[in-house]
Amino acid sequence: MPRLSDTMEEGRIGRWLKREGDSFREGDVIAEIETDKATMEFQAYDDGTVLRIIVDDGETAALGAPIAIVGEAGEEVADAPAEKEPAAAAEPEPEPATSGSDPNVAAAPPAPAPQGNGKAEVLRVSPIARRMADTAGLDLRSLAGKGSGPDGRIVKADVERALGTAEQAPEKPAPVEPPATGPAVSAPAEGDEVRELSPMLKAVARRMTESKTTVPHFYVSSEIDMTRALQLRKELNEALADSGEKVSVNDLIVRASAQALVQHPQAHRSYVDGTHVYHAHAHVGIAVALDDGLIVPVLRDADTKSLRQIAVEARDLAERARAGKLRQREIEGGTFTVSNMGMLGVSAFAAIINPPESTILAVSATIQRPVVRDGAVAVGDIMSVTLSCDHRACSGADGARLLQTVKRHLEAPTLLLA
Amino acid sequence: MADVTYREALRRALDEELDRDRDVFLMGEEIGKFEGSYKVTAGLWQKYGAERVRETPISEEGFVGAGIGAAMMGLRPVVEIMTINFILVAMDQVVNHAAKIRYMFGGTVGVPLVIRTPGGAGAQLTAQHSQSLEAWFAGCPGLKVVAPSNPADAYGMLKTAIRDDDPVLFCENLVLYNVTGTMPENGDFTVPIGVADVAKEGDDLTIVAHSYTVQRALRVADRLGQDGISVEVIDLRSLRPLDVDTVVESVRKTNRVLVAEEGWSTFGVGAELAARIQKACFDDLDAPVERVGAAEVPMPYSKPLELAALPLESKIEAAARSLLRECGL
Repeated sequence: MPRLSDTMEEGRIGRWLKREGDSFREGDVIAEIETDKATMEFQAYDDGTVLRIIVDDGETAALGAPIAIVGEAGEEVADAPAEKEPAAAAEPEPEPATSGSDPNVAAAPPAPAPQGNGKAEVLRVSPIARRMADTAGLDLRSLAGKGSGPDGRIVKADVERALGTAEQAPEKPAPVEPPATGPAVSAPAEGDEVRELSPMLKAVARRMTESKTTVPHFYVSSEIDMTRALQLRKELNEALADSGEKVSVNDLIVRASAQALVQHPQAHRSYVDGTHVYHAHAHVGIAVALDDGLIVPVLRDADTKSLRQIAVEARDLAERARAGKLRQREIEGGTFTVSNMGMLGVSAFAAIINPPESTILAVSATIQRPVVRDGAVAVGDIMSVTLSCDHRACSGADGARLLQTVKRHLEAPTLLLA
Repeated sequence: MADVTYREALRRALDEELDRDRDVFLMGEEIGKFEGSYKVTAGLWQKYGAERVRETPISEEGFVGAGIGAAMMGLRPVVEIMTINFILVAMDQVVNHAAKIRYMFGGTVGVPLVIRTPGGAGAQLTAQHSQSLEAWFAGCPGLKVVAPSNPADAYGMLKTAIRDDDPVLFCENLVLYNVTGTMPENGDFTVPIGVADVAKEGDDLTIVAHSYTVQRALRVADRLGQDGISVEVIDLRSLRPLDVDTVVESVRKTNRVLVAEEGWSTFGVGAELAARIQKACFDDLDAPVERVGAAEVPMPYSKPLELAALPLESKIEAAARSLLRECGL
């Protein structure tokens, strides 16, 4: 199982595109693998033939575990690797020093994934540290390469820190899996069904727990009069009707946010290991709900893109997000997120920050309400929004100013075209 | 309890054993009237006479062989070899005869022989006279090899060695002779062979040593202690039999271990211990077993070079700190 995302710990075979007996060329996509973040295409490292599939469609395997045996067509395969055991025993290699001789296990070379940009960190752990972690149920993989020992070896002191001071080190929380159920729930009741989480849902559970327990959130809310913005959108869409392009309310919000972010650097920075990282460009994550779960593709450099460009790209990202076709780099590197539940009619909600981002905008439904305009009551299209902020990165006033600018741009929407 | 030197502790043990058992006698070069090169036999020739404190020619092979013969015939010879460097000419007697006779005679004849001999370096005695060769003998079945680090153990173990029915190589150290320490007045005090001593208790790091290196290790432990690092020092006392249990128990507590010795590290005591430790407590280690020994060269005469070659406290301390750094301490 190759590492196709920085944070994946296991992967599920979406489906094999090459079956046993099929030959392939270097670079061919031989399988689709669901990581914690996306469905990735797994490209062959070399020419070969699938001799045996070990992990079948829909099945899950730990990082580094063999998922298939490849080699020359017609080559005999030893029986051993039929079980989903770690690679070593399965490899009938006469010369242990050489790698890549045939038949080799597809996942065996520790080469980085063809598309993932994460470099595979070798997990070096001192024996006592490993034993302590095992006893405590501590998963060390998130500390891989970050230990205090040589070459990042995780040593006893690191495990003691991870076990003892999780609250004191918010930037490096103990990577304990959150319980699958709430603490009050014990055994499932009769008729309940217990299901394993998909890799993506596991990642969401872990990351959200991490965020909500270690990032000091505060919230700033505002009501935005969307009357003019909706009018602008209507005009744009009429003008673009022939092109098939369409601008959504969300695109307007992304555009307004991106403009506001670059105007307010103090609300556009991340708190990382005691430092502030100021972001040069607004990479706006757009939360996309899936049947069960969500994914946040990132629209890069949104501050430099026109509303129309944003509309085209956002639509493409959302479509591919729903189809599970996002690439790893398209779900990384956000500096801000928009979570829009307007289409679900919610009147207000607050979102959990997606670290290391420091802000996330929760957008509720635009509802027609009486508003006072020029001293008279009129009908306004009012949208309620709540900005969640990491107080380590920005103050209340920073958050308020960011939100104020978003509001100003949406209420005077010609600014969105500027 | 009274403070005595290591030298005096040995002398007293010899005196008391000569007095206790008429089968005990001493042999060696200039151990009589001259009282031995390091004065360990001071006064004994006068007290027990030339028959029980026997001067020998400069012929280690001859007098070690004579000692073996006497031991086979029921006496309990204590042979002094002026320094361990000179035992090399008697190697055949030690390894092929003393160590093997009980086995080759089907257990009917033993060799209750003690060979006392100092190793060590530091007095510019150069390449041929500055060696610590005890590990060579500790690899030989049939021998017992001990190397006490302080006066009390020297006294107690020499008595045990003399009373042992098999050959014991009793390793002393040139630098240790003037080291003082408390010693029980009780003449029946003995120290068993094959039992290591926890010379100092600690939690963060185990330093294992024998002979004079234990003294160095204790000083290193004091220095690290000032920085809040708690070091346990294990004094092996015996190299064969080797008390692995005491070492393992310590490593299970501290998870980190350094073996220091005055001999060369390669194929040395540290090499043996590293193998035993990784086997017995692999899952307890927080870092690989560290070793400090003499530089892998013949001992130089030049004082700066001699200091550079010796496993001084500064080197043990540096290795300990490096190991602790690897463990994030």
